[in-house]
Amino acid sequence: MASSGVSGYAAISARVRAMYSYLLSPQDFARLSDVPDFPTLIAQLKQTAYGPYLESLKEKDLTPRQVDLQIKGRLADSYYSVIHMAPENHRSLLKQLYRNFEIGNLKAILRGIVTDPNWERVRSVLFPMGSLTVLPAQAMVESGSVGNAIELLQGTLYEETLSFAMKRYSTEQNLFPLEVALDLFYWRQLWQEAKRLQGTDRDHALRIVGSLMDMNNLMWVIRYRVYHGLSEEELINYTLPFGFRVRDTDIRSVAAGADIASVIERIYPNIEGVNALLEEPRHGLPLLEIQLKRNLMKQCMSAFTGNPFHIGVPLAFLVLSDLEIQDLTVLIEAKSSNMPEEDYRPYLVRAELATA
Amino acid sequence: MFFPKAMTEIELIVPSKDLLAVTKVLSSYGVFHQTDSSYPGAASGSANTWQEKAAVYAGLERRIQLLMQTLSIAEGKSPLSETEGIVDVEKIRPTVEQIEDEIKQVNDQLTAEKKHLEQLESTLHQLEPIEDVDIDISSLRDSRYLFSTLGLIPTANVDRMQTSLARVPHVFLTLRSDPAKPVVWLAGAKANADVLERAARSAYLNPVTLPEDYRGTPANIIKSLNSTIESVQKTIADLQARLEKLADARKDQLCDLLWQAHTSRVMADAIVRFGQLRHTYLITGWVPVSDLDGLTARLKQASKEILIENLPTFRYGENQHVPVALLNNKFLKPFQMLVNTYSRPSYGELDPTILMAISFPLLYGAMFGDLGQGLILLVLGLLIHNRIFAKGLQSLGLLIAYCGAAAAVFGYLYGSIFGFEGHLIDEYLHFHFQPLWISPIENILSVLSIAIDAGIILLFIAFLLGIFNNIRLKDWAHVVFGHTGLVSLIFYVSFLAILGNFLGSTAIAPKVAVAISKLPLPFAIIALVFGLLVMFSEFFRNLMEGHRPLIEGKGVGGFVMFLVQSFMDIFETVISMLSNTLSFVRVGAFAVAHGGLSLAIFSLAGAEPGVKFWIVILIGNIIIIGLEGLIVGIQTMRLHYYELFGKFFTGGGMRFEPLTITPATKEEG
Repeated sequence: MASSGVSGYAAISARVRAMYSYLLSPQDFARLSDVPDFPTLIAQLKQTAYGPYLESLKEKDLTPRQVDLQIKGRLADSYYSVIHMAPENHRSLLKQLYRNFEIGNLKAILRGIVTDPNWERVRSVLFPMGSLTVLPAQAMVESGSVGNAIELLQGTLYEETLSFAMKRYSTEQNLFPLEVALDLFYWRQLWQEAKRLQGTDRDHALRIVGSLMDMNNLMWVIRYRVYHGLSEEELINYTLPFGFRVRDTDIRSVAAGADIASVIERIYPNIEGVNALLEEPRHGLPLLEIQLKRNLMKQCMSAFTGNPFHIGVPLAFLVLSDLEIQDLTVLIEAKSSNMPEEDYRPYLVRAELATA
Repeated sequence: MFFPKAMTEIELIVPSKDLLAVTKVLSSYGVFHQTDSSYPGAASGSANTWQEKAAVYAGLERRIQLLMQTLSIAEGKSPLSETEGIVDVEKIRPTVEQIEDEIKQVNDQLTAEKKHLEQLESTLHQLEPIEDVDIDISSLRDSRYLFSTLGLIPTANVDRMQTSLARVPHVFLTLRSDPAKPVVWLAGAKANADVLERAARSAYLNPVTLPEDYRGTPANIIKSLNSTIESVQKTIADLQARLEKLADARKDQLCDLLWQAHTSRVMADAIVRFGQLRHTYLITGWVPVSDLDGLTARLKQASKEILIENLPTFRYGENQHVPVALLNNKFLKPFQMLVNTYSRPSYGELDPTILMAISFPLLYGAMFGDLGQGLILLVLGLLIHNRIFAKGLQSLGLLIAYCGAAAAVFGYLYGSIFGFEGHLIDEYLHFHFQPLWISPIENILSVLSIAIDAGIILLFIAFLLGIFNNIRLKDWAHVVFGHTGLVSLIFYVSFLAILGNFLGSTAIAPKVAVAISKLPLPFAIIALVFGLLVMFSEFFRNLMEGHRPLIEGKGVGGFVMFLVQSFMDIFETVISMLSNTLSFVRVGAFAVAHGGLSLAIFSLAGAEPGVKFWIVILIGNIIIIGLEGLIVGIQTMRLHYYELFGKFFTGGGMRFEPLTITPATKEEG
């Protein structure tokens, strides 16, 4: 019998709620945001649940990049812990969610090979996946070429996707088709995993996974249209036809040239000033993405109310942990470059917490 | 048993000539947890040499593994009874290279033939769906008015590509519905070639590229391909037979070589982390105190001039770097597993496994007290533990057995057997069975009050353990002003006295609180004074520890913030003390709910003890054991993790991982 509901989620629900309580509180966040400089930020961070991850760093290694990498270790541990506690038949969805970081690492490796195949340099930007990765990262970087690196992925779940995309890479000598293929593969698999579930688990998984997909799908189609000037058929082929709130018709209408702002305002009536954001896309699109992330955060927080025995709770916790790390990255970058608060605050997903 | 194994840090100074003998002892005895003592010093050149050697051995190990993989030889276990130590690279390398040469020639030929076969089969696969089409395939290449492309596309992209071409006239046919690589044909007017081409490219449609020399109808080409494939398959079979012969001849030799390379690599890796002086090596690490004499004797046997310095390790102070080996026996494994799920104890602190081994079954039994259902759980647990019922869950099985036994004991005390209580036992089971202690369903308020009392006692224990841990760590500021320090404990006692005084005459009043309130002490004043101390505990901790500034923030604003924060602290402390204490009501509530659930089942079963009655009772009992048993388990875990562990257990210990040549049996949990 597939374990789900109370029997499957009782233990993990208790554990996740315990872990949830260790996410930064509004007070923690306000304290971190109020610090005058980077060293004070690190000192404050050491007082939080991220402390143990920063203890091992020597004074000279306290660079923004190193700190960012270290705090990601906590997210990796959270994933590891949640995946291992989840009912066995639901782990594949959580593992697939975690693969987002593996895809990120894979892209970083391929970019490293093309720009500067130095293992130490590439390693410093890889997410610490621990044992849950299939990438022979060092061997790939040291293989010398994108083709050789991809050959090392034989037998992994990426083999087929990359074998199709490699033909285009060989012709165009551009990583774009490889990266798009990986993204589409990842999100399709994630959607399939969510749809494989049943009952309440399915509803919650589709809501959270779908909201994540909505954000990505929407940002892809806008960026491909605005920045890359791709044609309608390319835009459609490089996006996905499913999601939670964003429908295929929305994507297709943007691809066909419809007014982006009116499409967004129809889907997300709570997001204001979309027109103003799109007037200057280089500045506005990241802010629009933050607004979408705030919607996602609310969606995740709502998973913690009501019946706690479903996959939505661990999924939401993991997404929230990721958003927290993203905010900390913004703070780390801002404090290390002495940026005034009004400049970085709009880029915090939990901006309201920073002033609590 | 109460603390992790006592460890001692050792520093070895080893003359260069004895390096290998000492490393062999350290890596074969399995009690030495190595720490990195290498440092960039004058003799770092030699360290680099060992690093290079380790890389060479690792390379050789990989090459041998690859050879064994090519020849389909299983790695197996160590073929040698005694570890040989580091073997000279030049002793292994020539033999490996010789075997590689022998195999390479055959294997390269085999790989080339397999690749050729794959290409032929791929072309065949592409052509098979259009075998019946009676046209010269080369004519598609030179069409004047038609854009057409024949190719393979990822299955997931098929629908999307059709959507993307919804507004362009086109023909799209799936010629072969291979789930992995469908073969498709896309055609349209040449005028729309750019749109069609873009859509095909962005959907990752890879056009089939038949070699120029393939001409004629698909059927003709397929016939010729089949004949070539047959001849290639024969060549492959011959080459595979040659490899099998080579595998038989070289099997034992390769196993020996692999073990030698592996041993050498492990030892070289260890040496890389040694610190090198001019004529000596510095080795540092951790050893369980109980194994120190044995290791010292072996080391002295291996090197007469070795210097062994044993550095005292204390349980207090900074000891997160001390590896933790837990001492519990196999009967405590389930509780160790539960503790480790929360966190591994750190070296200096009390291992809460013993406490958990007592309190977990106790609380579980109190919540799920039923003689019959408890015995069922006991038997079920023993079956799982002995791998009769489910495999790989031995620890969980033992935990279920313990909980079942405790539930049976409490069932005896509560006078409950399979949900039958009091007169129901006389009526339906035809024997007399009175509660030895109390019937929860008939004494609801008393049971709830007892549960709170039990909780208060457990919280006292947790407070005292917290203070004990801090005393051992010599963290005096936290002993007095910590979250679970003396000041907080006294405040909690006075809080209970006020609570006891307030609830004194009610049935639910916890007896412990009432008893404390009767003591001739001015609890209101004590609560006020210690409340203030708790409120400003951060200030006093900073004062004791010498941290400056005493108050975070500057000026009046900083001071006001400090006051607000301190007020919130005391508010939070009072709320959490109340909630922590009342949290244990659930123990009584579940004991009552257990009786209530049984009554519900009896009302469903009816009064007549016929077949229907017993079926309902049976199903009801199964549901209670499955559902309530699980929920009670979670509640018990929650009480430990939230209410108790938070008071005295920090965790975060590092696992003890001794250096071994053969992979050590991992500690469970």
